[in-house]
Amino acid sequence: MKRAIALTINGVRVEAEVEPRKTLADFIREDAELTGTKLGCEHGVCGACTVLLNGEAVRSCLIFAVQADGAEIMTVEGLAQNGQFHKLQQAFWENHALQCGFCTPGFLMSSYALLQENPNPTEDEIREGLSGNICRCTGYQGIVAAVKSVAGSAE
Amino acid sequence: MVQMATPRGKWIGARVKRVEDPRFLTGDARYVADLTLPRMVHAAFVRSPYGHARIKGIDASAALAAPGVIAVLTHADVASVPPLQDPIALDGLKKTPQTVLASDKVRFVGEPVAVVIAEDRYLAEDAAELVQVDYEPLPAVTDAEAAMAEGAPLLFEDLGSNVVYDQTYRFGDPDSAFQQADRTFKKRLHTNRFMASPMETRGCIGQYDRGLGELTFWSSTQMPHMLRLSLAGFLGIPEQKIRVITPEVGGGFGQKMTLYPEEVVVAFLARHLQRPVKWIEDRRENLMSATHAKEQIIELEAALTNDGTLLGLRATCIGDGGGYSFNTASALVEPQAAALMMPGLYRVANYEARVVAVVTNKTPVGAFRAVGWTAGHTARELFFDEIARELGMDPVEFRRKNMIHEDELPYTTCSGQVYDSGSYVKSLDLALQTVGYDELRARQAELRAQGRYLGIGISPYVEPTAWGSEIALQVGFPFPSHDNARVSIEPSGKVTVAVTTHSHGQGHETTLAQVAADILGVDLADVTVVFGDTAATPWGMGTYASRSAVIGGGAVTLAAQEVREKILKIAGRMLEADPADLVLADGKVSVQGSPDRSVTLAEVAVSSYFVNSVRAEGEDPTLTATRFYDPKATYSNGCIVVVAEVDPETGQVRLDRVVSVEDCGTVLNPMIVDGQIHGAVAQGIGGTLYEHLVYDDQGQLLTGTFMDYLLPTATEVPPIQVEHLETPSPVTVQGIKGMGEGGLMASPAAVAGAVLDALAPFTPKVEELPLSPERILRAIGTITD
Ligand code: FES
Ligand code: FES
Repeated sequence: MKRAIALTINGVRVEAEVEPRKTLADFIREDAELTGTKLGCEHGVCGACTVLLNGEAVRSCLIFAVQADGAEIMTVEGLAQNGQFHKLQQAFWENHALQCGFCTPGFLMSSYALLQENPNPTEDEIREGLSGNICRCTGYQGIVAAVKSVAGSAE
Repeated sequence: MVQMATPRGKWIGARVKRVEDPRFLTGDARYVADLTLPRMVHAAFVRSPYGHARIKGIDASAALAAPGVIAVLTHADVASVPPLQDPIALDGLKKTPQTVLASDKVRFVGEPVAVVIAEDRYLAEDAAELVQVDYEPLPAVTDAEAAMAEGAPLLFEDLGSNVVYDQTYRFGDPDSAFQQADRTFKKRLHTNRFMASPMETRGCIGQYDRGLGELTFWSSTQMPHMLRLSLAGFLGIPEQKIRVITPEVGGGFGQKMTLYPEEVVVAFLARHLQRPVKWIEDRRENLMSATHAKEQIIELEAALTNDGTLLGLRATCIGDGGGYSFNTASALVEPQAAALMMPGLYRVANYEARVVAVVTNKTPVGAFRAVGWTAGHTARELFFDEIARELGMDPVEFRRKNMIHEDELPYTTCSGQVYDSGSYVKSLDLALQTVGYDELRARQAELRAQGRYLGIGISPYVEPTAWGSEIALQVGFPFPSHDNARVSIEPSGKVTVAVTTHSHGQGHETTLAQVAADILGVDLADVTVVFGDTAATPWGMGTYASRSAVIGGGAVTLAAQEVREKILKIAGRMLEADPADLVLADGKVSVQGSPDRSVTLAEVAVSSYFVNSVRAEGEDPTLTATRFYDPKATYSNGCIVVVAEVDPETGQVRLDRVVSVEDCGTVLNPMIVDGQIHGAVAQGIGGTLYEHLVYDDQGQLLTGTFMDYLLPTATEVPPIQVEHLETPSPVTVQGIKGMGEGGLMASPAAVAGAVLDALAPFTPKVEELPLSPERILRAIGTITD
């Protein structure tokens, strides 16, 4: 009952046979062996599993891998280019936006999508834009500061 | 005893960004769920759907026949494993053993009853649903006071009662204080059950090597060596044949301190099946089976003179411990900690405390950041607000009047804590000044005239930190507590620091490297901090109770100082100089006053290891030292002020400002201290306004997902302003005091205090938390039914 799918993750084509019930998150983590994407709740609330699907931030725990057949996916592993941090990664580092790091991949991807949509968000817009992600360690102070610090700067 | 370190260099106290961060930012960091071993199989637990029931039989045949299933185990299969029970020996504390898989009874929803092992997690979960358990439901009891009542359903029939501890402590002469009082006051507060809820749930992998007789166990735990000791005892595997490794740990906050039955079962299975076994719980399991926290029923009485001087206090702290009492330190962990610290930073000469721990048909309770203190501190501070209001005093003046002033330190409280040093009044003043207290009061009056309700909550605190043997005793838990560090200069001159305190977000790879770098005169980049592997570190207890900066930092200091002496001795011989005249800095040793005469640390190291002539006969060639540290008691302090506006029509609360003044002695890295405060305050906001584990009267958990258990997001947590004071401890190495819990100890009282201050014109009555909109509307009489 497995189905063959093919998708692109961080620019690399991945083909596999998957059970229709396998989530995109599990597919990314197990089949594509990209474990940067995290699972915090598996019911669509915490945002730890956020990835970009055709440029849109989605919760990969709520999507089946077969639904992503043919899609372009970007995960946290796709942010840095040629060994250079993306400006968001650098900003998260500078602003102490992570402690245990478990929520970080999801926040990075949500922030990335937020800035794509609104390159110059206000603090309120940042908070609103990240309110679908939960961090239990930082009280969001460093995360908001990090996104603010790169808001308005060019890609 | 004051142990002074070498003078501070350039790293300690610097706002250094974290050396561990890059791997988390790229997605390369590996948590236990990210690990895969050859031939690995997956476990899923069958959990009780009843709060209280007798197990009459289990039929696993359908599950065993399901695709991919390898085994199903129930209690009978693991009967050789002893039950989990409280290790602490306290007079009058009753034991409530829990078998790792339920045997005859279940006592809370979520209790593990059976385990299914299958080729993947999907199949294991499918099959877990096919295990048929025949339950005979029993009446449940889900309220601590109801559980204490005559005729309540008993969780443990042979104990004859649900009360596992009930003791009264008397300090000073409380009865006379109450007789002499001009006025007495009372308050009751039932604090809400909430939980640590780390973003990474619990999980572990066991792998058993039959040839070597060795168990390797990867777990998301805060205390690797303690876990190893426990596994050895439960499984009968020699301790030295067990290696516990913690990969990255995605937050703990106390929840991952304790040994869980699931961990014992997974380790058992690894040996039983001769295959690596992995268990990663889902969020629902975490919400119903990992330790809950913070719920107490607290009753307070205060004796005062007419001018507002506190003469005495009485407290009853009833801890609602859930189905079993063994996690961390039993159902006692909440009420005992609350009661012993109830006087806080106030002069209370006469105090009586009754500590009661009760089992109920809810999830067992364990430590969570500021265990016991959150509830106790919140009850006391809200009580003091009420007293001040009744006396017509400003809440600040009432506190200032009864607070221990700096010139009274060191101060021994009536309940036995020795406050070594601090800035109690100064912190209060700085917080008030930062927030602009007088202007705020004026603004509050203006807004009230317009029908708007602004409130200010003030919460000064003293925080027991540096959990060593002495402070443990002072705050009610007589259990030795210490840790080790091993500092080594490798033959190449690079530095390895192996510590037993554990980092799961606290940034030890940076802070402890800062300590070593300063003492050894090397660059931060030349120091690697190792932890989280019992095979790679000396023995130690782990991370809990704000102890790592002090104990980890102290042990690293002592070991690094010893290594430093060794370096100087060798370098002295190489340079033909007296070690006392040598300077160790910037990776080299030079002679004071003649910087040309120098050798690099790498040259010293390679000589020490490989050139016999630089060593005296019989001298150790390795540049390494292992030192333990068990600090004397030290206490941090601070003050949190919250400004909130409440809408009396809807019960909605908007937090406008949070100011946190923190004094944790010598600061290793202010950026990390700020981060700890931010996170703890956010948890306090959650626990005061949103987070609540709700049960029905049959013991069903009604908040089993993140849809109903509400954690605060970036829109609920306002900017948090942190101000630092630095009063180094006179009794610890480097003057470090430790911190991390004060934010969750003190912010709930500040948040709730601000809400109640805002609503003061309505004379709100609040006996329960959290302050949900509905509860607020009831408190001010908008909802009456
Ligand atoms: S894991 Fe997908 S939203 Fe929580
Ligand atoms: S850094 Fe730990 S959950 Fe965000």
